[in-house]
Amino acid sequence: MISANGLSVSLGGRRVVEDVSFALGAGEFAALTGPNGAGKSTALKALAGVAAVEAGGIEIGGAPAASLNALARARRVAWLPQTRPVAWNLRVEDVVSLGRFAEAPAAYDRMGAEGRAAVDAALAKADAAHLAGRTFQALSGGEQARVHLARLLASPAPCLLLDEPCAALDIAHQLSLMETLAAEAAAGRTVLVVLHDLELAARYCRRVMVMEAGRLVADGAPGEALSSEVLGRVFRVRRGADGALFRGPR
Amino acid sequence: MSRLTLILGLISAALLAVSALVGTAPVSLGDSLAALAGQGDAATRTILWEIRLPRAAAAFAVGAALGLAGAGLQGLLQNPLAEPGVLGVSAFSALGAVIAIFFGLAAVSSFAVPVAAILGAGVATVLLATAAMRGAGSVTLLLIGIGLSSFAGALMSLALNMAPNPYSLSDLVNWMMGSVANRSWADIVLAAPALAIGAALVLMAGPGLRALSLGDEAAVSLGADPKRTRLLVIGGSSLLAGASVATAGTIGFVGIVAPHVMRPFVGHDPQRLLVPSALFAGIVLLVADIAIRVLPFQQELKLGVAAALVGGPVFIWIAARMGRSFS
Repeated sequence: MISANGLSVSLGGRRVVEDVSFALGAGEFAALTGPNGAGKSTALKALAGVAAVEAGGIEIGGAPAASLNALARARRVAWLPQTRPVAWNLRVEDVVSLGRFAEAPAAYDRMGAEGRAAVDAALAKADAAHLAGRTFQALSGGEQARVHLARLLASPAPCLLLDEPCAALDIAHQLSLMETLAAEAAAGRTVLVVLHDLELAARYCRRVMVMEAGRLVADGAPGEALSSEVLGRVFRVRRGADGALFRGPR
Repeated sequence: MSRLTLILGLISAALLAVSALVGTAPVSLGDSLAALAGQGDAATRTILWEIRLPRAAAAFAVGAALGLAGAGLQGLLQNPLAEPGVLGVSAFSALGAVIAIFFGLAAVSSFAVPVAAILGAGVATVLLATAAMRGAGSVTLLLIGIGLSSFAGALMSLALNMAPNPYSLSDLVNWMMGSVANRSWADIVLAAPALAIGAALVLMAGPGLRALSLGDEAAVSLGADPKRTRLLVIGGSSLLAGASVATAGTIGFVGIVAPHVMRPFVGHDPQRLLVPSALFAGIVLLVADIAIRVLPFQQELKLGVAAALVGGPVFIWIAARMGRSFS
């Protein structure tokens, strides 16, 4: 569904993503993890089409990403950024309706029945249906995060990219988020999520990719990608006898 | 059309009629109504159709243009204090008009003044948009606007000094204070194309403005085109501000107050804000223009002065509230 081939991205003259290659098929649910500054967010931005690709290529649904305009790309890939500003005190359902901008750039009350149904369904999936009708800036941080998630889920794009969607969510909502994403993958969407919580990644994702200093250094099933060798070398943690993670080498 | 738009439209129509019935000429209400319907004697019909109605139409059109430009610029710059007047766009537009008048271009073609006013507005808007794209924040943009206003004022004085045909200072004052007195249908027809195109451009930017609420990058990922949105708003609001200045001189604050009042009624959505802001600003200027004709002053108060008398304090109030919630 979406693939990168020798992808390199520079920010301000510094290579932050270096020669990254992978391919994700339809229905795959993968986590992208790695220490701070590893280039995860930038790689995701390049896939979403908002960071300039310096070298290598991206293919989306069989087409080279460079051949797609912003609208065609938005129909195939939806992206949830790490920082999520909302300039005005918009209504919750208007924020969510922006997820369908590529289909029809209408506010909620001007959408067709199909669009409204998609927005309502997305709000329900994100456990935010009760927030409809409220204004965005009056919500708590976690509630805002769920509205942003609903915005992403309202998009009909077959590929979802999420950058740290668990930030600001309580534990129950983190688990519910991962279940929702797993269900989206089971329904045929490709889901790639940047996560710092290795336990969540290992528990819900069949595939984990690890980045370090711009490079993809591990890619496989959780047990393999998050082996004690990778944990020690990349994350500088070790697994204790009880399974908990501790700082420092073995 | 939303119910809000419908209500504002009906109020606008009613006020246009009221405005035609109010004035210094001693015409009775019955005669006025008859003349409005095309009856009665020729003199009364002339007063209503050739003096009062064009004036009312000019007040409404100028207000609507400033309200729409204000709502568009606020959406683009994501700043509730943005407006052609505050940002120096109107001052630059007036500078363009003054240059055209004082250097005799107005005598060459009747389009010279509107075109020069629109070009002046365009120069200021492009400068502001460049600063905004380089990441200038709200405060920086307002400071640039203050700078542009003062600079345009100085250049206007310079133009006055250097002008080959010395018009009186009162002409300059007219441009700086703003008025719709003695406007004819010809003035309105002259401004109409720029007003219509400017309004169309800003309205086309509406959906993009809502997408921009999530930031540039997210907007791109949604399939929006922030560059196109910027061009539409900048081009459209320059045309609107330029045409309104060409018609009535500089009238400040209406473009700030109208979007601010309308925002809660439209769910703070920068797209749905556009049309109600235009109508409301048109209503505000119509009411202000009726008020200055009714108020018992020796000399008629200038419309721009009346707008600033009400708008200035509201601006300060909005800025003070912003300071509480943003800093």
